[in-house]
Amino acid sequence: MIKFENVSKIYLKDKAALDDVSLSIKPREFVCVVGHSGAGKSTMIKLINMEEKPTKGKINVGGIDYSKFPKRNIPYLRRKIGIVYQDFKLLPKKSVYENVSYALEVAGISNKEIRERVPKILQLVGLSKNSKCTPDELSGGEKQRVVIARALVHQPKILIADEPTGNLDPKNAWEIIDLLLKINSFGTTVLLTTHNKDIVDNLKKRVITLSKGKIIKDEKVGKYTV
Amino acid sequence: MITMWRIIKAGFTNFVRNGVLSFASTTIMVLTLLSLSTFLIVNIALTTGIQAIQEKIDVSAYLNDTAKEEDILDLQKVIADSSDVKSVKYVSKDEALIRYKEQNKNNQKLLESLEGIDNPLPASLEVKVYDPAKLEQVTKVFEEDNYKGLIRKVSYKENKIVIDKLFSATEFIKKVGIGATTAFALITLIIVFNTIRIAIFSQKDDIEIMRLVGATNWFIRGPFILEGALYGIIATIITMISLAAILYYTGPSLTNYFGGVGSDVNSYLYNNVVVILLVQLGIGIIIGVTSSWLALRKYLKSAK
Repeated sequence: MIKFENVSKIYLKDKAALDDVSLSIKPREFVCVVGHSGAGKSTMIKLINMEEKPTKGKINVGGIDYSKFPKRNIPYLRRKIGIVYQDFKLLPKKSVYENVSYALEVAGISNKEIRERVPKILQLVGLSKNSKCTPDELSGGEKQRVVIARALVHQPKILIADEPTGNLDPKNAWEIIDLLLKINSFGTTVLLTTHNKDIVDNLKKRVITLSKGKIIKDEKVGKYTV
Repeated sequence: MITMWRIIKAGFTNFVRNGVLSFASTTIMVLTLLSLSTFLIVNIALTTGIQAIQEKIDVSAYLNDTAKEEDILDLQKVIADSSDVKSVKYVSKDEALIRYKEQNKNNQKLLESLEGIDNPLPASLEVKVYDPAKLEQVTKVFEEDNYKGLIRKVSYKENKIVIDKLFSATEFIKKVGIGATTAFALITLIIVFNTIRIAIFSQKDDIEIMRLVGATNWFIRGPFILEGALYGIIATIITMISLAAILYYTGPSLTNYFGGVGSDVNSYLYNNVVVILLVQLGIGIIIGVTSSWLALRKYLKSAK
């Protein structure tokens, strides 16, 4: 599903954010990526979402070879990958419902289908009652659910969660992780980057450990050992 | 089609939701359009004014009551033969009296004073030329020996100094006006551009989010461009209402002050209201759309 072959990304001279990384993630897998700040987790996500281009190496996601992918089609690629951000990235002037439906509107989905899909996905994340609220009227946990709803509403094959629990208390954090597990059980590949040792150790899933831009560990059932 | 409709809807929604920014941008745009319109009106007023004055620069040669009609007609023919002359009109004593009465119909005392006496007004030849500069040359005929005896007085000489001064003054005002208004228009243009740029800058995070959820550049750009156009359209409406109000209240006093010229300007503006509206609309929309387009460019660049 996601394949990196000898990928490097260098922002500043002599300092690689990612250094010769190769990895392969299969469909339906649930993978945790762990590492200190600056280890290269966010760069990896930016490369998958085509916010950045690799300096070296090949990336292939869902059968698409990024090196041959035209720039103008980037928006269409992004509609196939759901991303959950630590800082939510919600549109502040739009309501919960509008934030989710916006992701469908940009894709030209019909109003009828939007009216069917959005309430369903809001029910899945448990926010049916808050659909008219704006983001600043929600708690951190609720905001993160909106983000997950927005990421999922396209029914993407891949869901990437970039430190989704970073701003949440343990109870809310676990609720979000449970939601990700549920989504994974429906068949979506989930890539979770996190700092949270408790979560990683209890998940008992594949763990890729990054340090200074390199993969230093890749275990089928791993633990948080940074 | 559905995308187009969504872009339009988003443009209107954003305009309302970004109330303060929309208000600021529209206000600045109104100031720009008002300054440009003022320039336009001053320019029209000057041009119409000069035209009207040039029309009125004619020479009246007042004739002695003793002059014979055949001599007068002869003189009229001589003048009319010159290629510089637009028209020569003979105004008889009776016509002069009718005109005088018409001009002073509101002044009973003057009219009463004419009653019971012989018509005191002289007959005259009214000469109009194509180019006011040629007037002096044309009027030389009046000084020729053959016709000297016919003429009581030539009005041109009395007005010449005033006419010359008026010419140089209008030329000066025109030059200063164009310079000052161009400078002012440029300054306001830069202010409008910067206001819109700041409005878009304040939404740069939103633009980033839109890109990340897979919106195409056109889907992001569309509503902003429409917002820019809306600033222009609303600003035009406000400007036109303000201008109409200003002209409505100052129009009568302008007409009083300048005589016929004031009402010429007013009627010119009323006759060309559609053109003025379209020009303003065009300028407003172009400024709004271009500013939004340029300001957005920076935030819509794709992956490095």
